[in-house]
Amino acid sequence: MLKQLSDRLGRVERFMAGFCAVLITALIVFNVITRAMNQAVFWVDEIAIFVMVWMVFFAMAVLLKERKAVAVTVLVDMLPSGMRRGVGVFIDLVVLLFGVLLLVFSWQWYAPLDLINAGFDFSQFSAKTMNFMYQDRANTLALQKYWVWLIVPWFALSVCLHTLVNLLDDPRGHHMDKTPEGTP
Amino acid sequence: MTFTIFLALLLLQVPIGIVLCMTAVFYVWHSDNLVLFASYGQQLFGSAESYGLLAIPLFILAGELMNEGGLTRRLINFARVFFGGFRGGLAYINLMANMMMAAIMGSAVAQIAVMSRALVPEMEREGYEKPFATAITAAAGLMGPIIPPSMLFVVFGVLAQISIGDMFIAGIIPGLLMGASFFIIVALVGLVQQYPKGRWMNLQEAMRAILYAVPALLVPIVIIGGILSGLATPTESAALASLASLIIGMFFYRDLKLDKLPALFARTATNSGLVLFLVASAGVFGWTITFEGVPQMVAAWIGDSTSDPFVFLLMVMVLLLFVGMFIDGVAALILVVPILLPIATTQFGISPFQFGVVVCLNLVLGLLTPPVGTGLFVASAMTGVPAMTLFRSLAPFLAVVTGLLVWFCYDAWAMEALL
Repeated sequence: MLKQLSDRLGRVERFMAGFCAVLITALIVFNVITRAMNQAVFWVDEIAIFVMVWMVFFAMAVLLKERKAVAVTVLVDMLPSGMRRGVGVFIDLVVLLFGVLLLVFSWQWYAPLDLINAGFDFSQFSAKTMNFMYQDRANTLALQKYWVWLIVPWFALSVCLHTLVNLLDDPRGHHMDKTPEGTP
Repeated sequence: MTFTIFLALLLLQVPIGIVLCMTAVFYVWHSDNLVLFASYGQQLFGSAESYGLLAIPLFILAGELMNEGGLTRRLINFARVFFGGFRGGLAYINLMANMMMAAIMGSAVAQIAVMSRALVPEMEREGYEKPFATAITAAAGLMGPIIPPSMLFVVFGVLAQISIGDMFIAGIIPGLLMGASFFIIVALVGLVQQYPKGRWMNLQEAMRAILYAVPALLVPIVIIGGILSGLATPTESAALASLASLIIGMFFYRDLKLDKLPALFARTATNSGLVLFLVASAGVFGWTITFEGVPQMVAAWIGDSTSDPFVFLLMVMVLLLFVGMFIDGVAALILVVPILLPIATTQFGISPFQFGVVVCLNLVLGLLTPPVGTGLFVASAMTGVPAMTLFRSLAPFLAVVTGLLVWFCYDAWAMEALL
């Protein structure tokens, strides 16, 4: 069940990452055309940057799921296969720990309970917690930045799910048996 | 302690981006600065939030579209019309085609992969030795990250907070010098070993090759023309080049099939995500470096050993050669630049452009040296030539690049002449 969820999520994320790549290009082309016609829209650049960062997190979730992120393989390649498998499990555990920690940090950052306590009143929330994240605005867009930052908790959650599934699927690190593909 | 954790994770094959993130977590925890945790996510996001970085996905996409759309192939054919008949013609064409591709793609590894698939079989068919053919292609791929646009330069520009456009300009002469010296090597090798005779195309073939290449030639014209006319920034010209390649590949050559596009876009996204996540994680890792005062420590240590900028750059070269043996490209750049650049500019008065070109060229060289040379292994995997055989054929090229590097360390002329 979890595996199905992870696979499906991975496909959605891969699609979203590709879609973001197209969208960036379209936005930048749009920017050039409108400027050439003296109708420049000043906030397009900022959207393109946000879309790019979203693309990075979607893509990274997919890469971590497929264990294809760049890593240094020299030392581990020299180990006997039993130890290599141990290292494989260790890597998955570190990535999982990272996902969980990022989730915890995102919770502290968005502080949803304090926000509810403050009755969704942002200024009261900041006064109490000294956390001004809900006041931060985009530079040129009429947009609060906490909407854009939502990709971080999403990424954290997704890394947790994918890595957990990877670990359950292969608890003895057999993925280290084939020649490592640490590099793209 | 933080350093031990960092090294242990790195050597145990944990993905480098995650290593940087986890080291930062450990450092914050260890130094009792726990309030930083609440802004961890913001820092991670914010480090990738830079206009200059947009160039990376855009140029990767342009390169992908050019290959899938059959533009690369037609450009090579175009070069054959003029040089195909000379003895060793294909070897020179290889260099020329790589210089053209270098002006479009920003990554050496991607370029080596594409070009060795496209050119090595052709050269073999004409009677070149396979290891030599592969070596030329791999060496020529080194121009990718130096001739602008270049992914390494973009990342360096963002880290150093200097203009990426100026960084590109600084790379033009060093890139051309590399190209020229490669031509000379190929010519010299030709004196020793007889290259196979080339074949001139007949008039009909030649006309056809030229005609077919016209749309493909538009792409470099779009890129360079866009920048020179001021109509587009270097970043924007990459987007225009993607659009042009898409239209040409789909409607003129009809090599680009609609059903291939989703996979191509996803590949662009993951390949650029790989690089950009490193930049993002460098943001949180930066805490460790700044708060620990690592640059100051290194500066003090180096200050004791030398005060000469040339000697300093040579030391950097040795260090990078060592770092480059284990980590490559952008990851190494991210680790090294925040520490060494402040020392280079403030203590030794080295211009950031000279430093950038030297560091990037150095790291590119690391791509072709064992044990971790990604480029070496990609070329070897694409052609089936054993990596060590390939490395031997590469030796003259690598020696020349090293020579150029020492010169660039000594004298900033090549970098600053056009600025």
